[in-house]
Amino acid sequence: MSASGPGLTVGEMLRKHGVSRRGFIKYCTATASALALPPWMGAAMAEQLRNAPRPSVVYLSFQECTGCFEAFTRSFSPTIEHLMFDIISLDYDDTLMAASGTAAESALASVMKEHFGRYVLIVDGSIPTGASGAYCTSGGRSAEVILREAAKGAAVILAVGTCSAFGGIPFADPNPTGAWPVSAIVGDRPIINVSGCPPIPEVITGTLLQYVTTGSLPDLDENRRPRAFYGNSIHDRCYRRPFYDEGKFAKTFDDEGARNGWCLYELGCKGPTTYNACATVKWNGGTSFPIESGHGCIGCSEPGFWDKGSFYTAQAAADFTKSGETRPLEVLEFAGATLTVGAVLGAGSAGVGRLRQHRSELDEVAQNDKGTP
Amino acid sequence: MSRLGDIPIRIESMESPVPDRPDGGLGGAIDAVLSEIASLLERLAKNDEHSMIDLRSLPLSQADRAALQSALGDGEVHATLQAVGRSTARETRFAGVWWLEHRDPAGDLVAELLEVARFPQILASAPDEIADAAKALRSHRRLQ
Repeated sequence: MSASGPGLTVGEMLRKHGVSRRGFIKYCTATASALALPPWMGAAMAEQLRNAPRPSVVYLSFQECTGCFEAFTRSFSPTIEHLMFDIISLDYDDTLMAASGTAAESALASVMKEHFGRYVLIVDGSIPTGASGAYCTSGGRSAEVILREAAKGAAVILAVGTCSAFGGIPFADPNPTGAWPVSAIVGDRPIINVSGCPPIPEVITGTLLQYVTTGSLPDLDENRRPRAFYGNSIHDRCYRRPFYDEGKFAKTFDDEGARNGWCLYELGCKGPTTYNACATVKWNGGTSFPIESGHGCIGCSEPGFWDKGSFYTAQAAADFTKSGETRPLEVLEFAGATLTVGAVLGAGSAGVGRLRQHRSELDEVAQNDKGTP
Repeated sequence: MSRLGDIPIRIESMESPVPDRPDGGLGGAIDAVLSEIASLLERLAKNDEHSMIDLRSLPLSQADRAALQSALGDGEVHATLQAVGRSTARETRFAGVWWLEHRDPAGDLVAELLEVARFPQILASAPDEIADAAKALRSHRRLQ
């Protein structure tokens, strides 16, 4: 799938395609602007990338709905085509690549061997460990085995999507497949979580671009997410925030407050506790985001979002006592993953805390089926 | 209402993230931008330090934008580039302050910046492209 022979720098590749330095500076400037990065980053990014080797990228999809990949391919800036053909060498992606079967598996093995220690590994989907990993296999191997093997030679792992970053929907109560996030399986490689269900396309490509440009991990929050995109809550950057401050709330989706664009907090908006770039980068090339379309934030980029109760219940009014969601987060203690998962999921997540009620059930499943991750 | 065309559609402008001021006057943001430009110009004059302001990152209304354009005015140079779409670099009446607009091949505005520099970075020819150009010219059949 590599768009060119190995060894070409990004600049050489661009010149080969007839893209001038001016064109590339302009492209990087527009990208920096779209990603709300400082304007000087555009020119700096262009100069750095022109001399940088095109990194090999391996994209693995596990227990997922392909929504994250759909998002990845719908990035307006940078576009997936531009990334693939000019900036990265997407060497393995079983959704996009023409090869299949043995040829595809050989390609993966070859890439991992040739670029050992240097390739970027993108993972979307959670990793099911129940039934000896039978819920998700490829080439007769389980997702867990494939991930462990691919992770060994990865310079960095991008866990794209909430399933990959925090377990997501498969991890939610009752987690029938024994699903875990990437960080529960891999403990010795640098991981960047790009959460969201799906993540904002430009946040996926922007995070990748930032890593390729700088060659180092971006500044991460306590959930290992890039602060450049996850540093502010939706609520803090929401254009409806002034209505919250004035105490003007929509009470139903068709009342006068809703028509006037008032705050959706009382309709269950999770903006105050959700960190993402929806309110700034927005979706569909900066067209809009859910709150702008009249629906509250569902908090999809946060750990355990699926188990935090109704999307339509105000956070302050939610009755968590019935489901025991106010239990404190218990530390995951399984199979040496304590620190990894604890750090990723972060302390104080009520949703994850509730999930831990099912720890004994999960442990039982894991022990019966295969063991722990 | 029996046809799709009967559904009323309201298209909100993407160009105006904040409402225009009722009095049509300058908002505080413009004063802040002008003050920032003055500081950047001083740094350019003193240390030859080049800098940029991303106009799309600022909460400017249409009136604010027009007021800023009016305050900065037009200078002597107006350059047009054709590189992955059309771009313009226009020097304002304040020497060293350039207004840049980048459009994609479809003509949509993808970046709008103020660059405070002796000339916009994007205008300079790149050394590697100059070297390639020299080789290309040397290999021209009229020189062989």
